[in-house]
Amino acid sequence: MSDRMLTMAEAVREAMSIAFDERPEVFLLGEDVGIYGGAFGVSGDMYHRYGAERVLDTPIAELGIVGAAVGAALSGMRPIVEIQFSDFTAQAMDQIANQAAKIHFMLGGALHVPMVLRTPQGSGTGAAAQHSQNLEPWFASVPGLKVVVPSNPADAKGLLLAAIDDPNPVIFLEHKLLYKIPGRDPVPEGATRIPLGVSKVVREGKDLTIVATGIMVNKSWEVAEKLAAEGIGVTLIDPRTISPLDMQPVFESVEKTGRLMVVQEGPAHAGFINEVIAQMAGSSTFGSLIAPIKRLAGMNIPIPYAPQLEKAAVPQIDDIEAAAREIVKNWR
Amino acid sequence: MSFKYPVVMPKMSMTMETGELINFHVGVGDQVKSGDVLFEVMTDKIDMEVEAPADGVIESLVANPGDVVEIGKPVLIMLTETEVMAFDFGTDNEPVAAVEVVAAPAPVVPTPVVAAAPVILNETVKAVPKARVEAANRGVDLRTVRATGPDRTIMMEDVNAAQLDPAVTKRQAANKALIAKGIEMTRGIAQASFTRSVKAEFDHATFIAAWAKVLRNRPDLAVHQHIGVALIIESKYGSALPVFKDPDQSNRADLAALVASTTQAAKNGKVPVAMLSGATTTVFDLTSYSMSSATPLLFPNQVTSVTIGYESATTKIVSLTIDLNFCDFYDGALLLDALVVAL
Repeated sequence: MSDRMLTMAEAVREAMSIAFDERPEVFLLGEDVGIYGGAFGVSGDMYHRYGAERVLDTPIAELGIVGAAVGAALSGMRPIVEIQFSDFTAQAMDQIANQAAKIHFMLGGALHVPMVLRTPQGSGTGAAAQHSQNLEPWFASVPGLKVVVPSNPADAKGLLLAAIDDPNPVIFLEHKLLYKIPGRDPVPEGATRIPLGVSKVVREGKDLTIVATGIMVNKSWEVAEKLAAEGIGVTLIDPRTISPLDMQPVFESVEKTGRLMVVQEGPAHAGFINEVIAQMAGSSTFGSLIAPIKRLAGMNIPIPYAPQLEKAAVPQIDDIEAAAREIVKNWR
Repeated sequence: MSFKYPVVMPKMSMTMETGELINFHVGVGDQVKSGDVLFEVMTDKIDMEVEAPADGVIESLVANPGDVVEIGKPVLIMLTETEVMAFDFGTDNEPVAAVEVVAAPAPVVPTPVVAAAPVILNETVKAVPKARVEAANRGVDLRTVRATGPDRTIMMEDVNAAQLDPAVTKRQAANKALIAKGIEMTRGIAQASFTRSVKAEFDHATFIAAWAKVLRNRPDLAVHQHIGVALIIESKYGSALPVFKDPDQSNRADLAALVASTTQAAKNGKVPVAMLSGATTTVFDLTSYSMSSATPLLFPNQVTSVTIGYESATTKIVSLTIDLNFCDFYDGALLLDALVVAL
């Protein structure tokens, strides 16, 4: 095992580089991914290492970028698209939802679209409502798309390699605030893959099960660490792939803890995490609950520009801690 | 601790004064369970089987088959470990003094008691899912479980508490069965209920003294020599009904102290045996449940029954039920009016 500590940006770059080395049909395209090294520096020096033919700087035209990638994927290539902000995928939604996700099914399975669309998401950078959204449910509600939300560098590397291998279109949602933060776990050397559709039990505790996505996994981990010192045990589960969703570890955990809290950054209304609640409510594990299910999610508002309001609009560590304490204390 | 408890000739109708003992179903030394038939009685109107009010051992048979026994006089004596008897109907006489005895009877092997239908049911029970599963698995009726969770939701520990102490469950069941049986006996009586809002602050001692005083002024309604006010007190063992004799005639401070100490004792499941008989009216305070009223039901040999309900921070709802054989509607209205004035 390696003990290398990378940031998520470095881990994603490493995964793309490994895929570039393994398969000549893999290439990267997007706005400023080449000479500039990517809006958040994720592609870095890849333009210089692999050349302009495999790292393509595109015009500012998201629909065209994704359309080109879908066409390339149908022609035997394995494109990796980077959209600068996930908010801009709205421009490309016809290619994503109507073309990439559907072609395999419209053509009776004759063709595949092995495309990965990477895009930074989330709030916390002071970039206001049009550059800060968490759009997980947009993609998770389109059959034909797989949706990956990594919460740390090691998972990001392994999941991205698996996503590039996958014959289906995969939406890969990276949180901006995680790009520069080293993970808690070292990133293994080499081409280690993490299968899509397998939830990860990040830590185990006896009192409360928390299911969180993306950056909320990290915030929940901080809370779990603090509560563990006081003897309150938290089992933290990171689905990693939100479509398809692996609920089995959640059921197994709730059968032991009896309490479930779900945390997401995106707005509560019709959010992805509601799917976890719905599946729990309809499962045989329901009878193991000793507390109402607690949901922590963003407010149903566009992300505000003012820093204090931006923070207040999505769950923070203090919110998660207070909610976790409340549920464990009040429901015995 | 075990107590001698006399099982007396019950009063089964308003006109009954004596009953003939037909035969015993038990002998000295027999172990009996609550609800077991002890003996049969014949009156001018009906024949009836008298059941054990609690688990225990038959210590002695006082009367003989064929004897005509006055109501309230002992027919047999039981030794029982049960200190709470929800209620001792059927007599307005003092029972033979209950004596604590040193020698405990052979230990009673706990067996499940089939509970009578609960008297007061909360049909919508809130419970966490696991508590429902657990209760169903163990045969616990959630309606009998005290909820301590948020928004009066039954939690796992509530179900566990209900289940962990079989002695408590058993006593609850015994108490309920006893109350249900008493209410059953008065079901055929024509009754009427009256309700009024009252703006007054009072504690239980003040209330029962005021109510006794109102009844004292209506000797025409009295079917007993004294006035005994039974106060329903909820405990984890179920309802206890200690009786306060002639509360209007005792010193107010002494009465307040007695009500306080008896309430505390009842909550701990211990009511002096001497306070379990002689009720002529019953008072049930619902205010701690935030309920405005429940139909106060008549207990056997009682002409009236009263509930106190919550209406607002400054007002309460007082409901009165009367036996129409003794009072007409006008009497009932006057009684309630007098009570409100007295408060």
